[in-house]
Amino acid sequence: MKKIFQKNGNINLLLQGNEAIARGALEGDVSFCSGYPGNPSSEIIETLADAASHLPIYTEWSINEKVAVEAAAAASFAGLRSIVCMKQCGLNVASDFLVNLTLSGTKGGMVLVTCDDPSGISSTNEEDARVFADLADTPLLEPSTPQEALEMTKWAFDLSEKINNIVLLRSVSHLSHTRSVVRIGELPENEKKARFDTRNPFHTFPVIAKHNIRHEKLKTAETIFESSSWNPYQGPEEPELLIMACGSAWCYVLEAVEIAGLTGRIGILKLGTTWPLPKKIVRETLRKCDRILFAEEVDPFIETAIKAYAADLGEEAGGKTFMGKASGHIPSTGELNPSIFLNLFEILFGLDLINKTYREKVGEHLDGVIFPREFGFCPGCPHRGSYYAIKQALAWDNRDGFISGDIGCYTMGIWPTGFNQVKSVHAMGSGLGIASGYGKLAQFGFDQPVVTVCGDSTFYHAGLPGLINAKFNKSDILLLVLDNSATAMTGFQPHPGTGSTATGEDTEPVDLEALLRSLNIGVDVADPYETEASAQKIYALLQKKGPRVLIMKRKCALVQGKQGGFPYQMSVNHDVCLGESCGCGRYCTRIFRCPGLIWDKENMKATIDQVVCVGCGMCADICPRGAIEKTGKRN
Amino acid sequence: MDKKNPEGQTGLVEHVFKKGLCVTCGACVDLCPYMHYHDGRVTVMDKCQAEDGRCFKWCPRAVPPGMNTADAEQMAAKGIGPFRKIVAARACDEKKRESSQNGGMATALLTLAMETGMIQGAILTDRGDDDAPSGKMVLSKEMISAFSGSRYSASGALSALNRAVGKGVEKIGVVGLPCQMEALERRHQYYIKKQMTDQVTLKIGLFCTWALDYRKLAAYLEQEGLTGTVIKCDIPPPPAEIFRVYTTGGTFDFPLPDIRQMIQKGCSVCTDMTSLYADISLGAYEGREGWNTLIIRTETGEKLVDLAVSKGRIEIEAFPEKNMSDLDHAAQNKKNRGADASLKMTEGEVGS
Amino acid sequence: MQLNLIITGVGGQGNVLASQVLGHAAVHKGLFVTIGETFGLSQRGGPVLSHIRLSDTALPGPIIPPNAAHMVVGLEPLEPVRILQEFGNEDTVFIVNSRPIHPLNVIAGDAKYPDDRWLKNTLECFGKKLYWLDATELAISLGGAIMLNMIMLGALSEMDGFPISKSDIKDVIRTIFPESKLEMNHKALDLGSKLVQNA
Repeated sequence: MKKIFQKNGNINLLLQGNEAIARGALEGDVSFCSGYPGNPSSEIIETLADAASHLPIYTEWSINEKVAVEAAAAASFAGLRSIVCMKQCGLNVASDFLVNLTLSGTKGGMVLVTCDDPSGISSTNEEDARVFADLADTPLLEPSTPQEALEMTKWAFDLSEKINNIVLLRSVSHLSHTRSVVRIGELPENEKKARFDTRNPFHTFPVIAKHNIRHEKLKTAETIFESSSWNPYQGPEEPELLIMACGSAWCYVLEAVEIAGLTGRIGILKLGTTWPLPKKIVRETLRKCDRILFAEEVDPFIETAIKAYAADLGEEAGGKTFMGKASGHIPSTGELNPSIFLNLFEILFGLDLINKTYREKVGEHLDGVIFPREFGFCPGCPHRGSYYAIKQALAWDNRDGFISGDIGCYTMGIWPTGFNQVKSVHAMGSGLGIASGYGKLAQFGFDQPVVTVCGDSTFYHAGLPGLINAKFNKSDILLLVLDNSATAMTGFQPHPGTGSTATGEDTEPVDLEALLRSLNIGVDVADPYETEASAQKIYALLQKKGPRVLIMKRKCALVQGKQGGFPYQMSVNHDVCLGESCGCGRYCTRIFRCPGLIWDKENMKATIDQVVCVGCGMCADICPRGAIEKTGKRN
Repeated sequence: MDKKNPEGQTGLVEHVFKKGLCVTCGACVDLCPYMHYHDGRVTVMDKCQAEDGRCFKWCPRAVPPGMNTADAEQMAAKGIGPFRKIVAARACDEKKRESSQNGGMATALLTLAMETGMIQGAILTDRGDDDAPSGKMVLSKEMISAFSGSRYSASGALSALNRAVGKGVEKIGVVGLPCQMEALERRHQYYIKKQMTDQVTLKIGLFCTWALDYRKLAAYLEQEGLTGTVIKCDIPPPPAEIFRVYTTGGTFDFPLPDIRQMIQKGCSVCTDMTSLYADISLGAYEGREGWNTLIIRTETGEKLVDLAVSKGRIEIEAFPEKNMSDLDHAAQNKKNRGADASLKMTEGEVGS
Repeated sequence: MQLNLIITGVGGQGNVLASQVLGHAAVHKGLFVTIGETFGLSQRGGPVLSHIRLSDTALPGPIIPPNAAHMVVGLEPLEPVRILQEFGNEDTVFIVNSRPIHPLNVIAGDAKYPDDRWLKNTLECFGKKLYWLDATELAISLGGAIMLNMIMLGALSEMDGFPISKSDIKDVIRTIFPESKLEMNHKALDLGSKLVQNA
């Protein structure tokens, strides 16, 4: 058994922020864990799924975030402690239930973890999910370090039970994906029995009364926050600058102040409980200084709340200068880092903190030489085949068609790796909804064919309603389900089509084809590796009307790799390869763009990178001269 | 040409595809993966970066008039252009005459050419049955007659020549439209420049006033309730003003003005009605059922026709002066119309 | 003592595992350690960047302050150059594997990958010392490119002032790898340290 699941505490472990949250949940006596995968949150449920084989807890990957919160709420209603985890975009999906749940209240301690992704490193956006705390009147905790993440998660269950409502905990990429030494506590061993008390129902009626109760719960939370230890002040009694910081931003501030040698001149209020504001603490701290800087990631959440509170304080607060995202002192978008604060301290304190000479010299030297690495599908990825086939079909069709895209590895269809075929990407499942709209524009002269693509996991998550909408409204929609039997983007979590659950238990897979056929929608299946045949099928489908589905079925290359790999050894016959000549123009490396193919500059021929190539054989079919050869793998 | 108009796919897209001037001859297709012919249309698949490409060099629409030897000659030629002989002709085999537009003439000449070793294979246009017409390489004389019958639609047939090259067939005959003959001429000059041997040894060109966009035609015919598989199409002599389609389900007539709406835009700038670059140009003989007009333009063409006559494959008669003058007049009319349209297009560009 | 180390490379080079091994070793030694990782679309050819921060006094933050990297391990030669302006300084020591991994835009001819000499000169010119190692060839000779990260850790363990020794690393990998893989990994570490001793 891994050390992270051991019963005894008081040892130091190297834990990732997400693992620390999982351990915190276990130390907080959690019974029911659910979530939907999405960077940077996935490792929490992965860890808890692993824990479920050693400890008496239940963990599931739910079909989407809303269902995840609903399932976890059931456990809470039945008196058990539950945790539900997602990324920032997921909370949007869950929010409809959340804003009602906080009216009905909860019973067993319930914690919702949202892992936000400042800079959108692996997201379609960088939204700040903290606004849901305000919207749903939910207490909000913001840990700064893995240690704190563990402790706050554990504490959040107690808080939830004290106010009988769900508690939000917000992490960010640079906490969730940060590993550090964490001192773990002991795991409790309590007998638990789930039971719903039918005398105490959970619903939102009468709405006004419940709304008032919700506000009272928030007040109670505020009082608890004010007496908690999560909001420490450090620094002189009369600082020249007061920084109010939360989350990872606090780490950057702390370090920048130290580097700048300003520990005696700057005071830092670390806010660990950011909604509702611990007003007493804020009020007392505001007295210390008239210049206040806010340090937080993404939106000016505490900044706005504290400024509003200062306005309420009126004359008592006096004339304050607030600096933050609104004033432009802190960038209003993107991840923060120590550098931002050092730059600011240089200006505010007239210091010289950054090695500008070095930076300028390097900058000049590198100018125009360094370029970003282009992202691409893995070697052997079926999506490359699918997009290649769609590209062919749309080009043949010649009506300026395009793809309405969705969320997954295949979102990369917006880039050359997917031949730039995807022209819109927004939220989970929205590719279908948008396509169902295009499918009704014919009466306004719209004559471009639209293909919508959706991964299997995404299809179950939020795609089905869009497809049923198309069926219901007789929309002309062509859906290609890119069925790779995996949630590949986020790390191969199982989903309803894979045949196993989060904990590795066997479950009957949903028969996607049968499901679609039950809607009486034309369904066909194609193999993405057979690009020509697939393109012919797609072209034929483009000429038809009404809802149509083609399942592009082929396991994720990484999964195929794990299951024994590919049968071919690839090579390029340089005597046949045309290279840059008319007739080819480096078609395989320039257009097909598989990372397993490289351009041999000396010979001016394509060649195979044997370290990278997995031997799927697709490129042999697209080579115009048959110069790429596949032979049986030598073992 | 400056760099902005490289003589490759970029130029082809700029000068032909963006202007809608592609005549679907197929000369640019299947030389590479970048250009395809699919379902009756030539399409650009991916962007090629080559600045010197056969697709551009061989295209009968890519180079502005006068920029190329082929253009210059065509510009200079009046009416039906230079020829050695013009005759009325028909195939002696009655069966061959029945199924085809050209009195079985192309079939008779190709069969003989293959027998004598003048050609080893022929590029012909497949009717396509339920699909779009397309080019095929035929290697046996028995198969040749299966390819007769016109659909008046563009076929991309030269793609079959591109596919056939390098596969061991050294002498190839091509039957095609004037645009395709012009493409073959450009191709020929490219081969000379590159000091390579042209595999095309016989060019039989057809008379053509215009060709239809296959996809538009297919959609129209379907919408108008055509049933069965198309066998051949015909335009009966004036004043009928109809387009007749023979299918396995019967014979269907459609108003010719409707059909004219589907003429390829690229045909409007065409100045060649009688296949100036063919060895032998072949067309209808107005008012004489089962007979053809044969314009013999080259030594190759003359030898083949002489042999066909001496072997009793075809019979010829003198071509009346009156018909000759009518044909020349019609050809000159098309030339004038095409030149005017071309000029207008250029002026439009200058103006904009 | 405070030490800021960057390990940089591209997806699939074993960056995350290498930093984890160092992290565990640091915890065993009773050091404070924080590892900040950035891996967006790492499996899809993107860069993977680990900030490994060791201290004997306090827990460091997840991001190294500007121009404060003491050591940089490049599993690939372009990636250390990419972080030079933000984290490098005149005293940075670079331990770099010489074998490039060409991104798709380079393979496709849309971008030009800088040549060896320029990469070497750049790192030599803007740091204190460069160890330019042909580590991929060595890894392949050992049984696969996957051994690269252990070779680089072996090299790193020989650096002056680096608080984690080769035997500390060996202790950790004993708890991570199955018995059958141990010998090969130990060998990789040893070869890595020899590479820099000879350099």
